Amino acid sequence: MTDHSRFRLSRRALLAAGGATMLGGHAARADGKTLNVLSHKVHQTVLGTGDGDLMKDWRKANNADIAFTTFDSNPLQDRLFREASLAETEFGVGYLIDNRPTSQIAALFEPLQPRQDKSPIEDFADIAPGLVRGMTIDGKLIGIPVRHATQGLFYNEALLEEAGITAPPTTLEELVAQAKKTSFTSKAGTPVVGMVLASDLAVFPVMFARAFGGDFISADFKLVPNPAAMESGLETLRAMFEAGSLPRSYATTKNDDQVTWLQQGRAAFTVLPFARFAQLNDAGQSKYPGRIKAMEFPVAAALKGKTPMAAVVEAWAMAIPKNAKDKDLAWSFIREVSSKRVTLGMAINGNGPVRVSTYADPALQAKNPVAAVEARALANARGAFPPFPEAARAQATFLEEVQLAVLGRKPVKEAVAAIVTRVKPMMPA
Amino acid sequence: MRALPLLAPVHVLILGVIVLPAFYVVWLSLNASSFGRAPVFVGLQNYIQVLTDPAFRAALLNTVLLVVLAVHAEMAIGLGMALLFASGLPFRRFLLVTVLAPYAVSEVTAVVMWRFLFDPDAGPVTLALRALHLPTLDWSFTPSHALTLIGLLTIWLHLPFTFIIIYAARLAIPGELHEAARVDGASRWQIFRRVTLPLLAPAILIALLFRYIFAFRLFSEAWLLTGGGPARSTEVVAIYLYQEAFTFNAFGPAAATAWIMVAVSLLLAAGYVYLLRRQVAADAR
Amino acid sequence: MRAERIAIPLGKALAVAAILLWSLFPIAFIALSSLKPGQEIFAVPPKYVFTPTLSHYVELWRGWRGFFAGLLNSVIVTAGATLLAVAASTCAGYVYARHGGRLLNASVAGLIVVRLIPPIVVTLPLFPIVNALRLNDTHAVLIILYAAFFVSLGTVLMRTFIQQIPRELDEAAAIDGASRLTTLWRIIVPLALPGVLAVSVFVIVYSWNEFLFAFIFTATRAKTAPLVMSEMIGSIDGVDWGILFAAATVQLAPVLLFVLFMNRYLVAGLTAGSTKG
Repeated sequence: MTDHSRFRLSRRALLAAGGATMLGGHAARADGKTLNVLSHKVHQTVLGTGDGDLMKDWRKANNADIAFTTFDSNPLQDRLFREASLAETEFGVGYLIDNRPTSQIAALFEPLQPRQDKSPIEDFADIAPGLVRGMTIDGKLIGIPVRHATQGLFYNEALLEEAGITAPPTTLEELVAQAKKTSFTSKAGTPVVGMVLASDLAVFPVMFARAFGGDFISADFKLVPNPAAMESGLETLRAMFEAGSLPRSYATTKNDDQVTWLQQGRAAFTVLPFARFAQLNDAGQSKYPGRIKAMEFPVAAALKGKTPMAAVVEAWAMAIPKNAKDKDLAWSFIREVSSKRVTLGMAINGNGPVRVSTYADPALQAKNPVAAVEARALANARGAFPPFPEAARAQATFLEEVQLAVLGRKPVKEAVAAIVTRVKPMMPA
Repeated sequence: MRALPLLAPVHVLILGVIVLPAFYVVWLSLNASSFGRAPVFVGLQNYIQVLTDPAFRAALLNTVLLVVLAVHAEMAIGLGMALLFASGLPFRRFLLVTVLAPYAVSEVTAVVMWRFLFDPDAGPVTLALRALHLPTLDWSFTPSHALTLIGLLTIWLHLPFTFIIIYAARLAIPGELHEAARVDGASRWQIFRRVTLPLLAPAILIALLFRYIFAFRLFSEAWLLTGGGPARSTEVVAIYLYQEAFTFNAFGPAAATAWIMVAVSLLLAAGYVYLLRRQVAADAR
Repeated sequence: MRAERIAIPLGKALAVAAILLWSLFPIAFIALSSLKPGQEIFAVPPKYVFTPTLSHYVELWRGWRGFFAGLLNSVIVTAGATLLAVAASTCAGYVYARHGGRLLNASVAGLIVVRLIPPIVVTLPLFPIVNALRLNDTHAVLIILYAAFFVSLGTVLMRTFIQQIPRELDEAAAIDGASRLTTLWRIIVPLALPGVLAVSVFVIVYSWNEFLFAFIFTATRAKTAPLVMSEMIGSIDGVDWGILFAAATVQLAPVLLFVLFMNRYLVAGLTAGSTKG
């Protein structure tokens, strides 16, 4: 048993801290400053609270408060770009996903290289160069990588045992069968669905397509390079929904629901970033602390041993809107968050670290039993799709067709054909 | 003209916030633009793009369905309630105040309420329906059920308005008219059909038009309840506009959608003004 | 005839019960549930008898301080919008009530038409304008927007109410040498008070509850309570519904009491506003 209590995060405490900083934004000390940060809730969470607040010293040194405003991923990006397009914004730092910055979007953010030259981030070369490249648009560095989220398969060991399953799946087909078996009423009396997935993110259908060797949009902008594989992926999701292995409320399921459902024992499997391991096993929130495990997402039987699974990896970076007021304070925040100390602290709190050296840290290795698995998955991982101007619309169109197919309102073949014809005009020339 | 300073604030507000921006939308709708991109004149292309977009047509159909079904259902309930109140009820003032209560409720709070009442697992209404072996609203899965819930929500929020308009009109009908009809031996139904309904007709038409126009711009209820999903199947025109503008950053098509909304609203408004005129003319006679 | 004598009161009683259930049950259920301890919110069947607790309110206070900041913003915006809308509508309504002429009558029709333009339409062009004026995320932008969308109705309402005040009163005041503004303030406003109250009820309820404009034009500083609640809907887990119910109750209680208390003016305003255009 790993000792999770050392990095236990209480949701209530986090909410309390979030609220307190929010109020701080309004009732800041007369002489103090407030840095407004626009991010996902998880970015705030991993920075810790109270005694575990990783930014405690920074706050004191700068006599500044940090006020987070948090949204779910897609609304967060909409909001960030909207704020950055204003004459002036209250937000000093915004968290940016790597598949969104096109040339036009990148132009809304401050080029960071001059700042890096003047007051550099500690051991910048240690930050994964691939991630830094992803944030370099038109030759300009516009974001400092802060989190990578490599998707893995999570399962509730206790529920698998209850269903008489002794080993986790090694192929996608086994996963489907096990998800069907675990769609039952558990001993605790809770109705369980085999798998819970959010329906508003491209990540999940892309994972299923890749398990068959397909993709949505490849890194070299090929749209649905292998239609048969995409069909198999969606066919699998469709069959799971029909069998009741996905929740009936699939269409309204959000990313946060996946965490809650797994913690509450309402679902046996889900796909989430490996970094969520700590949160899912947290005794303060989870009914199954220590019983939720993570592994690489399995490929289809036909590909097993031939093609490795290309898991979806998403990278987040901190960026400064060009129209921000106090850019020096924002850069100071970014430097602190990117330091080795905070990177390690965040990793222990459940952040996918962007520094290579952090993985080697014995403290993290001891506390993060999935670090090795994650490192393996990361080796073959790539983004859900590359950035281009109409990416938001392309993702929405893709998801619309996926939902229709999964819910059984459209034959899978037609949906895949529609994805190709509808997304094609949105692709960059 | 000494009155000008007194008129100015209202007209400055309306011109500055509503009228001029609405005209600016016309210009936007004839251009293609986005963040950090200069507008390019494209003529009517945005309108063509929107009108031929299946998602827009689906949103329009949903909106029209909501307007037609919810508003008429609301009118039927409001009319029934007004007649009930007029027929004499104990604690009438108290009941009237009760009926007004939802008027105070914000769309956000109403969504919190109705989402929970119809929660598929624990909602009290779902449980009650299930206990009575009645079909429940499977709103997170079936688009028509989601639209039904949005419809119920919007009826609940706006019934006070419809009811008050009809009830006030009903109270304005002189009692002697009903008295005379009864003396002539008319049945209840005949009295309703021949006396009450024709006299209420102008109020009913006005309330309907108002509600058409307001239901046509429905946004928050649908946005907060379903976000337009699953698979954009519960999108309404206002959500379509929002997405084009603020998710896809396509200001041209968004502006075109906006003008289509204005055009439909003005068309409905023209009907309203026409009815008012006729009524004023009738009053003057 | 006998059957009817029983059936009618029975039918009426059932109808009254249905009306009460329809109007009050959703409100009462949320308010009650906000007092239920933790998991009892999800009890199947729902519990109607329980030991009330304020724990959700305590959690709301501790964990969502931003909600209370939002309430304060709502108070500021509502007060500002009401003052602006009532003052502007009263001035204009007075002119419309006392003067005629082709241009003025045409502009009344214009006021009515303007009321019918959907608010979401102007968000698109206003967005860059509001930014250029640096009004984004301020109380002022919401105050101006809310007032602008209610001055047309307000003016029409005030005209209706002021028309009922005998013209001789202001003529007498004019002979006594009172200026137009003095007449308006000293004589018209006190007599047209029901109209002022009716307009206030509309603007207050609208400004307190509005979502769309707040959603688009505010971010941190001027975020109103409904907007904070919508964020809570998005980020609250199943178990935390109690906090959301507590927030809903806190947001609703003052405006509900206000509407119930002012019901006469609301009814007067609704009927005058839609039929006497």
